[in-house]
Amino acid sequence: MDSSARRMAVEFRLSLGLLALLAIAPLAIDNPYWLGVLIVSMYFALLAAGWNLLAGYTGQFSMAPACFAMIGAYTTGLLAYHWKIAPSLGIPASILAAGAIGAVLGLIVLRLRGPYLALTTLSFAEIMRLVIGNSYGFTRGDLGLNVPGLFESRLAYYYLFVAVLAAAQGGLYLLLRSRAGLFLQAIRDDEVAAASRGVDVVLWKTVAFTLSTAVSGLAGALYAHFSQLVSPELGLISQTGLVICMVVIGGIGSLIGPLAAALLVYVSSEMLREVGGIQLIVFALLVILIARFFREGLWGLVRRALKKAAA
Amino acid sequence: MSCLAVSNVSRAFGGLRAVDRVSFAIGRGELVGLIGPNGSGKTTLLNILSGQQRADAGEVRLEGEAIQGLKPERIAARGLQRMFQLTRVFRRMSALDNLMTAGRALGLAYAAALARAERLLEELTLARVRDMDAGQLSGGQQKLLEFGCCFMSPPRIALLDEPFAAVHPAMKETMARFIRSRHAGGQTFLVVSHDMPVIVELCPRTICMNAGAVIADGPTRTVLNERSVIEAYLGGEAAA
Repeated sequence: MDSSARRMAVEFRLSLGLLALLAIAPLAIDNPYWLGVLIVSMYFALLAAGWNLLAGYTGQFSMAPACFAMIGAYTTGLLAYHWKIAPSLGIPASILAAGAIGAVLGLIVLRLRGPYLALTTLSFAEIMRLVIGNSYGFTRGDLGLNVPGLFESRLAYYYLFVAVLAAAQGGLYLLLRSRAGLFLQAIRDDEVAAASRGVDVVLWKTVAFTLSTAVSGLAGALYAHFSQLVSPELGLISQTGLVICMVVIGGIGSLIGPLAAALLVYVSSEMLREVGGIQLIVFALLVILIARFFREGLWGLVRRALKKAAA
Repeated sequence: MSCLAVSNVSRAFGGLRAVDRVSFAIGRGELVGLIGPNGSGKTTLLNILSGQQRADAGEVRLEGEAIQGLKPERIAARGLQRMFQLTRVFRRMSALDNLMTAGRALGLAYAAALARAERLLEELTLARVRDMDAGQLSGGQQKLLEFGCCFMSPPRIALLDEPFAAVHPAMKETMARFIRSRHAGGQTFLVVSHDMPVIVELCPRTICMNAGAVIADGPTRTVLNERSVIEAYLGGEAAA
């Protein structure tokens, strides 16, 4: 096993450890409010994992993770609201809808690079949010849409999110250790070289975009059934900003960093709520500091410290 | 049938004809040098052959099949592998994964790709940096790694753009030895280089380009002594 495979295996084992801690957390936390906070932080961890696959491992900077969560949330919500379709079909439909729209958008935008890709996905996200917000007859617009719940107990939601997050982390790890993972990382490092080695760059970028948007769609659908209300606010650019903050703070292109940071950022943002709306200022400052001084994020710092201690 | 046949290929950038009706053929198993002063169109020609740029006119055939206009990955899959003038490796991936990517993209199964990658690392004296990120390797080691990527699945033809530029003599010799041994086994090469001693030593045949056109093509020593070639490199007075 080479160094990058070893590094990935360590990160995966650590993320399993973190998920195990999450699994036993309800033994110590029985306050429904804090259980709810942890559930929402796991929703963000799913979005962060999807965006990390795209930006961290494939080098494609999309500005639409929250938009695809909104698409997922509205898919299962609208199916239930208009046609009484059960969540057992609504949630897979959300994954398919977000993935399919992501694939089509990917085919259109993935020939673009850098700021052009970011701006195009940002425009798409805003268009989708405005369309949903203004389609009162179908989506109830800004009034929001009532969505049926899945369980009576908050704890059941909690373990559903833990299980889905564990499956997403496992899937991401297996993907990265496969042939596809090599191709995605090669595209991230040098698209021209990847193509000249025989990697179908457009195909694999589209695959990454589709998987990433499908994960966002799944996260959005689960969140919709948990909160039992969806509104266009789910797709706000500030929500995407939060996802990006989580990945950059944790360590873009690592398995454990974005997961840990999603939990840390969301839980601390709830703690900072009492001192006013300064959370985003704090996280934005953190992102600036990390982008300037520690490109590998908090996980990179931890890794460096561990290496030093071992030396 | 020739391995690579280039017929009347042209490419202009605005008013500049970077490649001007270039024609030549390379037979199977040939080792051909491509020389010419800076700006003579060598790299643009290689970009057209490997699909990175499109030709305005002309035809390129690889083992009889037309490849012009195909995407680079399709051309690579058909057996044309290239090395770039400015080294291109996957910097955040290990040396082994760089090779594995090339092998897996060309359809090798995991075990076959791994065995081949290990052999190449050994042959190119890169075994001890196998697990290091490519971005941490020296410039010469990165060149060797990119060179190795071209041979993960034996190509029909390898296009090497300045493989010896800014490389330590020991590594240069490693690469030259590799080229000689593969050539003896029937591998076809087109090598772009400004390093004339290496071209003379390695390549029985050389093509010289100037101002986008082929100005000489033949046995290397004959080409290097041609008046038009000397003029292209040194100017009219030197040739006189």
